Amino acid sequence: MFSCLNLRRRLRGGRQGSSSASWDAMSKPKTQAPAVIHKVIMVGSGGVGKSALTLQFMYDEFVEDYEPTKADSYRKKVQLDAEEVQIDILDTAGQEDYAAIRDNYFRCGEGFLCVFSITEQESFQSTSEFREQILRVKNDENIPFLLVGNKMDLEERRQVTVEEAQARAQEWNVSYVETSAKTRANVDKVFYDLMREIRAQKVAAAKPDNDKKGKKKKSGRKCVIL
Amino acid sequence: MTAIKHTLQREVFLPSEERLIAVVHVTKPGRKKKASFLCAAVTTEKPIQAHIYQVKKQDRGDTFKKKLSWSLRELKVLDAKDATKDTAEFELQFDKVYKWVASSIQEKLTFIQYLWKLCQRYLIQKPEFLNIPNGVLEEIGESLEGDHTGQEKTVLGASDSDWHALSEREEADIELLMSECEYAISNAEAFAEQLSKDLSVLDGANIHSIMGCEDQVLELMVLLDQGVQEAVRVEERLEEYDLKLKGVKDLMEFMKDKDTLIQVKTRNNQKLLQELDSLVNQLDLDHDHMKALLDGDLSSPRGIEQCSEAAMRLQHCTAAEIHPSLSRMAAVQEQRKRFTRLKATFAMRLAHHLNNLFIHQGNEMCETLSQYASELTLPRHAASQRDLLPYADLMAWLKMAEPESFEKLAKVYTSSLSRLYDREMKEFMESAKVKLTPSKLERKGSLLPSQRFTLGDSVSSLHKAFDSRKTGSTNALDASSHHGSDADLSGTAKLDQIFQHVLNELAPVCLAEQDFCVHFFQLAAEGSSQGESGAETATGAQKPSSAKQRQINTAVRKMMAELFPSLESELISLIEFLHKLDTFNSLYMLVRMSEHVINAEDTGSFLSKTFGNCLVQIKRNFDKFIQIQIQSVQESKLSKKSKVGIVPFVHSFEDFAQQAENIFRGSDRRNDLDKAYGKLISAIFEQIGRLAADSQKTPSDVVLFENYHHIFSLLSQLKISCLENQKKEAKQKYQEYMQNYVIASLGRPLEKLHMFIEGIESRVATGVKYEEISYQLAYSKQEIRKVIHEYPVKEVKKGLDSLYKKLDKHLCEEESLHQVVWHSMQDEFIKQYKHYETLIARCYPESGISLEFTITDLLGFFSDIAQSH
Repeated sequence: MFSCLNLRRRLRGGRQGSSSASWDAMSKPKTQAPAVIHKVIMVGSGGVGKSALTLQFMYDEFVEDYEPTKADSYRKKVQLDAEEVQIDILDTAGQEDYAAIRDNYFRCGEGFLCVFSITEQESFQSTSEFREQILRVKNDENIPFLLVGNKMDLEERRQVTVEEAQARAQEWNVSYVETSAKTRANVDKVFYDLMREIRAQKVAAAKPDNDKKGKKKKSGRKCVIL
Repeated sequence: MTAIKHTLQREVFLPSEERLIAVVHVTKPGRKKKASFLCAAVTTEKPIQAHIYQVKKQDRGDTFKKKLSWSLRELKVLDAKDATKDTAEFELQFDKVYKWVASSIQEKLTFIQYLWKLCQRYLIQKPEFLNIPNGVLEEIGESLEGDHTGQEKTVLGASDSDWHALSEREEADIELLMSECEYAISNAEAFAEQLSKDLSVLDGANIHSIMGCEDQVLELMVLLDQGVQEAVRVEERLEEYDLKLKGVKDLMEFMKDKDTLIQVKTRNNQKLLQELDSLVNQLDLDHDHMKALLDGDLSSPRGIEQCSEAAMRLQHCTAAEIHPSLSRMAAVQEQRKRFTRLKATFAMRLAHHLNNLFIHQGNEMCETLSQYASELTLPRHAASQRDLLPYADLMAWLKMAEPESFEKLAKVYTSSLSRLYDREMKEFMESAKVKLTPSKLERKGSLLPSQRFTLGDSVSSLHKAFDSRKTGSTNALDASSHHGSDADLSGTAKLDQIFQHVLNELAPVCLAEQDFCVHFFQLAAEGSSQGESGAETATGAQKPSSAKQRQINTAVRKMMAELFPSLESELISLIEFLHKLDTFNSLYMLVRMSEHVINAEDTGSFLSKTFGNCLVQIKRNFDKFIQIQIQSVQESKLSKKSKVGIVPFVHSFEDFAQQAENIFRGSDRRNDLDKAYGKLISAIFEQIGRLAADSQKTPSDVVLFENYHHIFSLLSQLKISCLENQKKEAKQKYQEYMQNYVIASLGRPLEKLHMFIEGIESRVATGVKYEEISYQLAYSKQEIRKVIHEYPVKEVKKGLDSLYKKLDKHLCEEESLHQVVWHSMQDEFIKQYKHYETLIARCYPESGISLEFTITDLLGFFSDIAQSH
C-alpha cells in the first residue's frame, strides 16, 4: 500500500513534476490552478492525413494503413517556449453525413488545423466549407487557424499549387504550412504555431479592455514555403 | 572322325602292321555318292615306309578295304587348289592327277598338315605343296626344322633315337677308305679281312710303345719318395713352433685377466668418491645460512631475503635424494637430525614472527579505521600487504616444511583480518546507510515535516500517509510531493550513485585481498589439478589484475569467505535497508548489480559469487516490489463521492513505467522489467473491471473506456514492445465500452418510443410480417400515434439536452472524451432516428404516421446544444 504512494511520490521527480501537474489539475480542477490546456481540433476532408499528423505528433509513428476515424482525443504535455502546457487534440472524422454534427466540437475548440491533401484538389476546395462552419460556430473572425497542406512528400502527385493555397490563406488572413506526416516535415511546427496563436489569443482575451479586432496577433502571417 | 579313324586303324591297318596317321573323308568331284577315305599310314617296322591309301567301304557289310595305294614317295604335287579361297577340293598327283573333295575344309587342311609332316619326316625329295593357305604349314615346318638341325637328312624313324647317323667326316673317311680299295664295294669280304689285318698291326704297335715307357716310370717313383721325406721334415719343425707359441698364449691370457680387475677397482673407487662428494654437497648447509636461520633478522628486508635463501637451501638439503642405504650412515642421519632441528626452530621462529605481525597489523588497522568512516571509502590494505609480501617465499617454504604451522598461520591471518574486514564492512555499510539517510533528512527539513517520513518510523508513517490519501484529504500530500519532486530526483540519483560507489569500492578491496592471498598463501600453486599455471599465477598476481590469469580455485574462495565473513550479509542488509527505505530502489539496484555481475570477468571468484548471491536477493526484492505493486492495485478503492475518472493506479503505472524505462535503458535486465510490466498490466486490466463494477456514481462503461483510452495512449507513448498486445487490447476495449455506453445512454431520451420500436422488432423476429404489425392490438396505429405524440419537438430537445448534461457529469475532464462520445452519440442518434423512420414507414404504410421531429430538427438541436455552452 505505502509503496504505491511511495512510488508515485518518487516518480513524480523523474518526470519533472509534470505528471503530478496533470494529475492534480485534472482530478481536482476546482482546488488546483489548472495547467494550461490548448484545445486543438483537426478538421479536413476524409483521407487527407489528419490522424496521421496527430499520431506522428503524439507518438512519432506513421501508420500506413488507412482507417477512417470517427473521433478520438489525445492529450500530451509539451514545452511551449519555456512554458509547460498540455495540448488536447481532437481528431475528427473527415466523412460526415451531417455537418451540424461537427458544431459541438468546433464549439469547444480553441484552435483549428484545417488540413487538406496537396494531391487532391477536392479536399482543398472543401476547406472553405470547414472554415465557414468554424467561423459560424465560433462567431470569431480571429479564431486561431492554420491552413495545412499535407502529403508534401508526394510532390509528383501535387494537384494544389502552393500559390493558390497561399492565396486562400491570405484571403482568410491565416498562415499556410505544408507538411508531411510521413517524413514528419513541419509536423511539430504546425502544432506549435497553432498553440502559440491560441496562447496569444488567450492573453488578449484576458484583458477585457483590449480591442478584439486588433490584428496585432496576426502579424506572423507569412507563408511558409517548404 | 576319331571313331572312323579308330575303326580304320583296327580293321585295315593293324592287320598289315601299319599305323594310321591321318584320314580324310573324300569324294570324287562330281560323284557325290561314292564316299571313300584317303588315309596316310606308316609301317610299324623299320625301315619305315609311308603310304597313302584310298579306303572304301564295302557295299555289303561294314568292312573297309584298301582300294588304291601309293607310296608317299610317289607323291609329286599336292595342290590345295586355292590358298585364299576356302574350298574343300584338292589334288594329289602321283602317276596321274587325282582330284578329291574333302567333306570339310578343316578336314582337308588337317590331312594336308599330316601329309606335310610325313613328307618332312620321311622324304628326302619332298613333293610340291601348292596353294596351301598361309599359316597351315609354317608352324609344322618350324617345329620340324628345329628337330632336325645338325642331323643328316636321311630317313628317320620315330622310335630309333639310339641310332646315330655318320658324320660328314666319318662319311668322308669311309668313302676315302673305300675308294682306296677299289674292290671294296665288289668284294666286301676281302675288304673286311684287310681291315682286321690293319687293326692287329696297329694293336701290336701300341703295346710296343707302352713297354718302352717303364724306365721313366721308375725314375718318377724315386723323385716322389724324396718329396715325401722332405714334407715330413717340415712338419716336425712346425710342430715345434706350435708348442712354443702355446706357452706364450697362456701367459698372455693371465695378464689380460689381471688388467681387467685393476680397471674395475679404479672405477669403483671413482664412483664411491663421486657419491660421497654429492652426498656431502647435498647435505652441506652453509654456515651463513645456518646462522640466518637460527637468528636472522626477520623484520628487515635484507634479513628476510637472507632467511628466504637459507630456508630454500635448507629445504633443498632436506629434500635431497639420497639412496636409502646411504641414509643409514651415521653421519647422514646426524646431519638430517640437525636439519630437522634447524627447520623446526626456524619454522617456529618464523611462525611466531608472522603471527605477531598479523595480529599487530590487524590491531593497527583497526585503530586507524575510524578515520575512514566519514568519507564512505573502504580502507585499502595495500600497505600492509606490501609489508607482508616479502615473506611470500618463506611462506612457501613453510608450507612445504611445516604444513601444520602453515595452516595455523593461515588461520591466524584469516581470523585476525576477518575481524578487521568484518568491522570495516560494517562501518562501511553503516556509513553508506548514513549517507543515504541524510539525503532524506535534508529533504524532510525542506518539506512538511509532519507528513514526511523519518527513517525510524518510515513504514508506519508511510502507512499513515497512504491512509490519509485514501480518505481523500490528499491536498497537502499532493502538494508536498509535487514540491518535493526536485529533492526526490536528486535523492534517487544520489542513491543510485552511492550504491554504485559501494559496489565499486568493494571490488578492488576484494580483488586486492584475493590476489594477496593467492600469492602469499600459495593457493594457486597448491592444486596441481587446477592447472600448471600456478607459478605463473604467483608471479602475475602482483600485476594489476588481469583477471584471466587468475586461477581461482575452491581454496581461494574458502579463504576469501573466511576473510570476509560478513560481506555478503552486510551487502544484503544494505540491500534490504535500501529496499525498506523505498522499495523502488530495488529497480536501481537490480540494474547496477547486474552490470557488476555481468561485467565481472572472473565468474567464480569470491566477489562474483557474493555479488551473484546479492543479485538473487535483489531480484527477489524486485519481484516483491512488483508483487506489492500488483497488490496495491488489487486493493485500491475508489472514492464514492466524486466521479471516478482515471483510476489512481493507472497513473501510478504511468509513473512507474516512465521511471523504469529510464532506469533500465540499455540494461540486460530488460527481460525482468518486461515480465513485471506484463504482470502489472494484466493486474490493472483485471482491477479496472472490478473498480468499474463497484463504481456507483459513474457508469462502469465510462470508467472502463476512459481508463482504457488512457492506457492505450500511455502505451502508445511509451512504445514498450512487449506490451504491444496489451496496447491493442486497450484500444479495442476502449472502443467497445464506449460503444456500449453510447448505446445504453441513447435508450433514454426517447424511452417509450424506444420500447415501442423494440417491441415491434421482437414481433418481427417471431415471424410477424411488417405490414401486419399495425393489426396487432399493442402496436395499432392509435398506439403508435400515442407514443409519437409523447415526443414532440420540444420533448426531444429536452431529452437531448439532459443527455448532454449527463454526459458532462459522467465523463472526467482529464481524458477529454466528451466530444468523442458526444460525436458518437449524435451519430448513433441519427442512425436510430432513421431506423425508426424506415420501420414506421414499413409497418404503417400510407397512414401518414411519422415522428413529430425531422432530421433537420435534430441537427438544429445539435447546433443549439453546441451553441449553448
